[in-house]
Amino acid sequence: MNALVDDGVAGALLLAVSAYSTAGGTDYGAGIWDLLAGRFRNADQVHALIDHAMAPVWEANNVWLVFAAVICWTGFPLLFESVFLSLYPLFALALLGLILRGAFFAFRKVATTSRSRLAATRVFGLSSLLAPFSFAAALGAIASGKVGAGGPVVPVWQACLDPLAIAFGVVALAATAFSGASFLVGDARRYQDRSERGADLVEYFRMRTVTAAIALLLVSLIALLLIAAESPDVFRGMVAGLGLPFALTAVLAVLAVGVLMWRRTYLWYRVLTVMGVGSFVFAWGFGQAPYVLPGHLTIQQAAGAPQIEALLLVITAIALILVIPSLLLLYTLDQRSALES
Amino acid sequence: MAFTLAYHIILVPLGVAFPLLTVVMEGIGLRRNDPVALRLARRWSVVMAVQFAVGAVTGTILSFEFGILWPRMMGRFGDVFGIGFGIEGWAFFLEAIFIGIYLYGWKRLPPKVHYRLGWVLPPSGVLGAFGVIIANSWMNTPRGFQLGPDGRPMNVDVMGAIFTPAFGYEFWHLIVALYMTAGFMVASIYAVGWLRGRRDRYHRLGFTVPFTLGAALAPIQVVIGDIAARGVFLDQPAKFAAMEITWQTQSHNPEVLGGLLRDDGTVWLGLSVPSLDSLLAGFSASTVVRGLASFSPSDRPSVVDANFAHLAFDVMVGLGSIACVLTLWYAVAWIRYRDLPRSRWFFRGAALAGIGSYIGIEAGWITTEVGRQPWIVHDLMRVSDAVNPVNPLYIWIMFSALLVVYAVIAYFFVTVLIRLSARWRLDDEGRSGEEESAPEEAAPYGPRPA
Repeated sequence: MNALVDDGVAGALLLAVSAYSTAGGTDYGAGIWDLLAGRFRNADQVHALIDHAMAPVWEANNVWLVFAAVICWTGFPLLFESVFLSLYPLFALALLGLILRGAFFAFRKVATTSRSRLAATRVFGLSSLLAPFSFAAALGAIASGKVGAGGPVVPVWQACLDPLAIAFGVVALAATAFSGASFLVGDARRYQDRSERGADLVEYFRMRTVTAAIALLLVSLIALLLIAAESPDVFRGMVAGLGLPFALTAVLAVLAVGVLMWRRTYLWYRVLTVMGVGSFVFAWGFGQAPYVLPGHLTIQQAAGAPQIEALLLVITAIALILVIPSLLLLYTLDQRSALES
Repeated sequence: MAFTLAYHIILVPLGVAFPLLTVVMEGIGLRRNDPVALRLARRWSVVMAVQFAVGAVTGTILSFEFGILWPRMMGRFGDVFGIGFGIEGWAFFLEAIFIGIYLYGWKRLPPKVHYRLGWVLPPSGVLGAFGVIIANSWMNTPRGFQLGPDGRPMNVDVMGAIFTPAFGYEFWHLIVALYMTAGFMVASIYAVGWLRGRRDRYHRLGFTVPFTLGAALAPIQVVIGDIAARGVFLDQPAKFAAMEITWQTQSHNPEVLGGLLRDDGTVWLGLSVPSLDSLLAGFSASTVVRGLASFSPSDRPSVVDANFAHLAFDVMVGLGSIACVLTLWYAVAWIRYRDLPRSRWFFRGAALAGIGSYIGIEAGWITTEVGRQPWIVHDLMRVSDAVNPVNPLYIWIMFSALLVVYAVIAYFFVTVLIRLSARWRLDDEGRSGEEESAPEEAAPYGPRPA
């Protein structure tokens, strides 16, 4: 019974990480495209579209991150302690990216001269790279087995710069660029009803979605090979164990989005994008189950007091019952406003 | 960390308590069919959203700092202590969503539905504060578990861990403080307008509603604060001794106002009221108050800490008393003339009350946190055992970076508010010809306008 509850909490944690990767990732991706828009002849249009698309959601995305942290320290205090003792530089960098991003996103709106606008755009874009890279690198370092129970098994900097950490970071960049582009196609399609340049933007992001999908599949293949080399157990979990269905889903969903975009079939691509990116996280998480720190710490060993685990699960369930309908209401209102305007 | 928390707490009163003011104002507007009240409510909702966005960022930073700075505390006590944050996190999410809906809804929902949805906000704010206080009161009076042989908690009793002795008084003290501060803060803005001669219905309403809330709570807060102090006397005698800079254990202990403790236990300057401290702590002058000297030096706040806690405590109590004077003035004027006080001095006081209550909250926070030193978890874990065992240089670099970042955030926050207010004033003055722009459009965050 206790084991089941602990697994439930672990599932909730994975869900929060995955929700952040998809929701937050889309946001970061938009930031990346914003940075890369420099040479496009319609750069201003791209910036405007991205501004417009990002404004409503970005603070809600941070909340997923807070959940992940809270569930982690309440549900698995030992995991939280170990991860932060081993990887604090990565989290400090991620935090820096997060803050700069938020601040300079706002700053761009109030900036008056074109030079300060440009500077704000650069900082915003670079911090959009830094944050997802660092967060994902932390997951990679965990997968590599360099994080032991109660602290790192190698010097901190070595754990942070592990090849697998870097690989995960790169996969995250590709994934955010991919989901960002895919969602921006949708935003551009709504936008084109109001602006004659809109059609250009749809094309612009369509091609980028295809490119990012290919890039994502390539870098994840490399990452998978690295996992095989560094953490054979995790690799086995991902290609022959619980992680397999998710790994397959991830690959197929990303492929499907690429094909849909290539054929200009604008159906289901956003749902598939979310499925694809989310499944990457699940593939990793289930791949290393029952370990939270591969080779060092299992879900059972990391779990906190059983009474608290149960309560945490109950609170999460109640909260989901309250939060999901509210989110749907907000989303519906958002869509309706888009139709009106 | 301390700095981040102190910063975050600035945003909390508006996050928790502002929604109530806004919704009440909307209710007034709907009931009396008053466009002025509705305009106020609508503008307040925008400010609410902007500060909420900033709060989301500082909140995120906070949750990661727990890991970066206090990994050992989280590892040992995270499960018992962290459950409050679980509640807080979800409450915050709910509030974020409903702030979005509320902001969107102005144009899109029937007024009554919008109003009713708005009522989700105040309880979710309070629920969030409830969660955080669970965590903080547990750090002050840790209960609800037994220490296992490995030093980790076992046999956790959830209810015991949530409703610790300090929980009750900390919770009510904070909630009332938050509502007071939000009331006084919002009112102070309109008090400034009033002093500058803008005495229309808009300013009158904008002042009266929040100020009445703050004023009504001020005397209640004195009672709660008194109960809280007695709670500290029982639960954390060392902190109480630090707050009152009591060195020797004695009955007929004097209450020292101001003044600083010296290393030898004597008090420098300060006004001493004989036996008052004993009287307040135990309702009798013969109540024995434990002094700092009775604790081993490693288990009590240092003299510097004690002085900090003491002065902060005095500032908090002093400001609370001033708030009560304002309340009295306001009440007398209302009873005699059925009107706001006429004196400009009253409005000067009210204009300062907003900042005053912020200082009060900060002082209260310093009192409780510094007073607990050297413990991070009272009597169980020292700050030095909880902290990340890295090179202090790293911590200082991190801290400096944070300082810069926070300065930037503060700059934006203030700039945005000033721009909003300037824009709204233009709207008010030029209302003759053009159609008024929706207040939501000016906000850089939050849902996009229709």
